[in-house]
Amino acid sequence: MTSTLLRKAVGVTSLLLVAATVVMGLFVTPPDVVQGNLARLLYVHPPVAWVAYLAYGVTSIASGLYLWRPTRSLKWDRIAVASAEVGVVFTGLTLVTGSIWGRPAWGVWWTWDARLTTTAILFVLYLGYLALRRIPLSPEVRAKRSAVAALIAFIDVPIVHESVVWWRTLHQGATVATLGANTKVHGIMAWTLLLGFIAFTMVYIWMAMVRYRVETMSAELEATQFEAWEAERLAESTTGDEAIGRLLDPSPGVQSDQGVARR
Amino acid sequence: MPILVIAAALGFLIAKGLGNSLVYFRTVDEALALKAKLGTTTFRLEGVVKPHTVTTNSSGGVDFQLVGQDGRTISIVDTANPPELFQPNLPVVLVGHFQGNHFLSDQIMVKHSANYIAAHPNRVATVNGKKL
Repeated sequence: MTSTLLRKAVGVTSLLLVAATVVMGLFVTPPDVVQGNLARLLYVHPPVAWVAYLAYGVTSIASGLYLWRPTRSLKWDRIAVASAEVGVVFTGLTLVTGSIWGRPAWGVWWTWDARLTTTAILFVLYLGYLALRRIPLSPEVRAKRSAVAALIAFIDVPIVHESVVWWRTLHQGATVATLGANTKVHGIMAWTLLLGFIAFTMVYIWMAMVRYRVETMSAELEATQFEAWEAERLAESTTGDEAIGRLLDPSPGVQSDQGVARR
Repeated sequence: MPILVIAAALGFLIAKGLGNSLVYFRTVDEALALKAKLGTTTFRLEGVVKPHTVTTNSSGGVDFQLVGQDGRTISIVDTANPPELFQPNLPVVLVGHFQGNHFLSDQIMVKHSANYIAAHPNRVATVNGKKL
């Protein structure tokens, strides 16, 4: 009950924060001196990219905790998949919002520069992680293999982030990581950007909580179904044993059954 | 089956990435140094649009001077419509090749910075508090 209330509170808070970001981003902040109104995507695109990194970070930590024997529990596996699914959604949003921004700003929807390419690779890597989980296996084997895959996939996250530093790209340098250095984000624009980060992080927390609940319910249902199936098989087996017993040791009262069996 | 599709997609992305991403563009200075070697091969060229040099040409594109970090320039003849943000003093990446003394470009991509500054931060507010 408490967790349900918490989920609802997080959901409502994230909705309000996203609404506030939309109002600030569209109606309160000024246009940028170079990009004009296109700069308003600043309040969405970097925050959703950050959430994707965060989601994959959580997936990696949960996967590591599953692989480490003292903390091994399927709970970590459920957290890992819940977070990874949300991460894939936000990576998709990163690619889409980046493309929408890129067309008018750069002049192209897509280009094979290092930032865009490594982000696309990240998206496909975690799609692969989710596909791997669809292979029918025991929960323990699936959790172990998925945890290893998640840790391998995470190697791409720092590569994506540093790609604009390591290679020449069309994509701009990091906006947030260099705040206070050479990057300038005008006052109210910086605050709205911060609001966007908080809002989308809350959305991530809410989505991951809901997805974790679904995963837990699914595991519980699977366990209940397995128990029912096991009981059914056991009952069939008991009935079968009784029938075999009657055939092997017939009493006078079951003459007709014996006859049927012989026929 | 989904695993195979994803593995194929991953292979494609890595191949494209290795082919295009690592040396995404050449600067004006590099291009001038390698001009003989580059010949008429197509590559991406990066530089800043020199102010007061942009003129519209007959093919619907723009002609301008592209300036490098050392101040050396390359004459650009562009045959495509420049993007919305194209303007002097901004860095751009052009796709094209050398043709004589010019660089013939068929695509201009604007490389904007990570700076976000209000368009009119010092405008005087009106009586209702709104900026003009």
